[in-house]
Amino acid sequence: MALFEARHIHKRFGDQVVLEDISLAFQEGTMNGIMGPNGAGKTTCFNVLTGRFSPERGSVSFAGADITGLKPREIARRGIARSFQIMNLFDDYSAIENVLIAVPEVREKGFNMVQQLNGGSSAMDKAAEVLRKVGLAGREQENAAALSYGERRALEIAVALAAEPRLLFLDEPTSGLGAEGTARLFDLIAELKESYTIVAIEHDMAFLFGLADRISVIHWGQVIAQGTPDELRANKWVQASNLGKLA
Amino acid sequence: MNDAFLHVDRLTKVYQRGLLARQETFRLEADFTVREPSIIGVMGPNGSGKTTLFELITGSNSPTSGHVRVHGRDIHRIRYRERDRLAIHYHQSYQVRHFKRSLPNFLLEHAGSDYPMVHLFDEPQFNTQDGYIGFMLEFFQKLRREGRLVIVCLHPNEPFHLDILREICERFIFVQKGQVSEAPDFDTLVARPDVRTYLGRLAPRAA
Repeated sequence: MALFEARHIHKRFGDQVVLEDISLAFQEGTMNGIMGPNGAGKTTCFNVLTGRFSPERGSVSFAGADITGLKPREIARRGIARSFQIMNLFDDYSAIENVLIAVPEVREKGFNMVQQLNGGSSAMDKAAEVLRKVGLAGREQENAAALSYGERRALEIAVALAAEPRLLFLDEPTSGLGAEGTARLFDLIAELKESYTIVAIEHDMAFLFGLADRISVIHWGQVIAQGTPDELRANKWVQASNLGKLA
Repeated sequence: MNDAFLHVDRLTKVYQRGLLARQETFRLEADFTVREPSIIGVMGPNGSGKTTLFELITGSNSPTSGHVRVHGRDIHRIRYRERDRLAIHYHQSYQVRHFKRSLPNFLLEHAGSDYPMVHLFDEPQFNTQDGYIGFMLEFFQKLRREGRLVIVCLHPNEPFHLDILREICERFIFVQKGQVSEAPDFDTLVARPDVRTYLGRLAPRAA
């Protein structure tokens, strides 16, 4: 059984159909890509899958339980973490404080705990470990505002990982990153995919084709193609395109 | 006739101007039947009436006379919001939604379908560089296999546009100066003098 599954999702805004019929399944331990041209419905899809919007029809299940219509907070509690296209960091706090806030034991006891923590606490160790995982070792005490754009993106992922998720959603992780930032993020996700189940919504095809085990292509609010990168590349029109030349 | 997938039945749309001396500015006439799921290519110059034809088929514009039936259902008798369950219209990437509402919904019928029967793609943005083109063409074929009718409107200005039409479309509709005509296959279509004139520099490529 898939760890996460969406079946026949239909979503409208007023008269406008944004998602016509979306079915997706993500297996535990895999890296999954969702891609599509601008206006295809990728971000709405992300928002329905992670609970921000409820679909008109269709269902979403995670770890065997129906989570359709649950609030984002409830979905997060069940083990799904999200990292957003728009940065969600506390600029005036250090990198490690941003991560600490998301560590479950700190979260439960409240925000003020951050001030009372010392270097020896287990929450602090966890936060430091997560920062190391995303390549920010040595930058712990730096204010979030002082980090480079690429480091901020990595910090965002660290905040998501601090919640110890079973499934990590990334919305347009390469957005705003230049060639170097994208290359570094590629390496980071290649490492993370060894230990996490990941879903990335992304328009950069080369990025996804190099990382994902399975890719779903969305256009006109529908899944227009689905498969492994090799399966998708088998199409002759794809082979003739830049995507085919990446092989 | 009622069982046809799409029946465009003696459809006309007349645009007029002037209040006292009404003067006809544009007239579209269409009459054709599609009996089975298929992929139909539509071509025609800008301003020839393609957009009006699509609006009439999808029920966002009302005809002067005649009917459009999808699976025997008159689309202009269906509730506005449910018309896209019979026939949905995409221009490039986005769904076209601008209904001229003339009747209250309670006088109209339910569509009785959750998923569109007719998918109309108006100038989808094909780009041979990014690879999406392959996924889009496979998707059209998947819809057809699943028993839907796909209408693809393409204004060929690159040689590969003709390759696409030849490869995926089973029959064709040509619209010019408000007249809608059919061609049973690609070769018949591109052999017509009016179509060759329309294709211009691409005509030799189509031969």
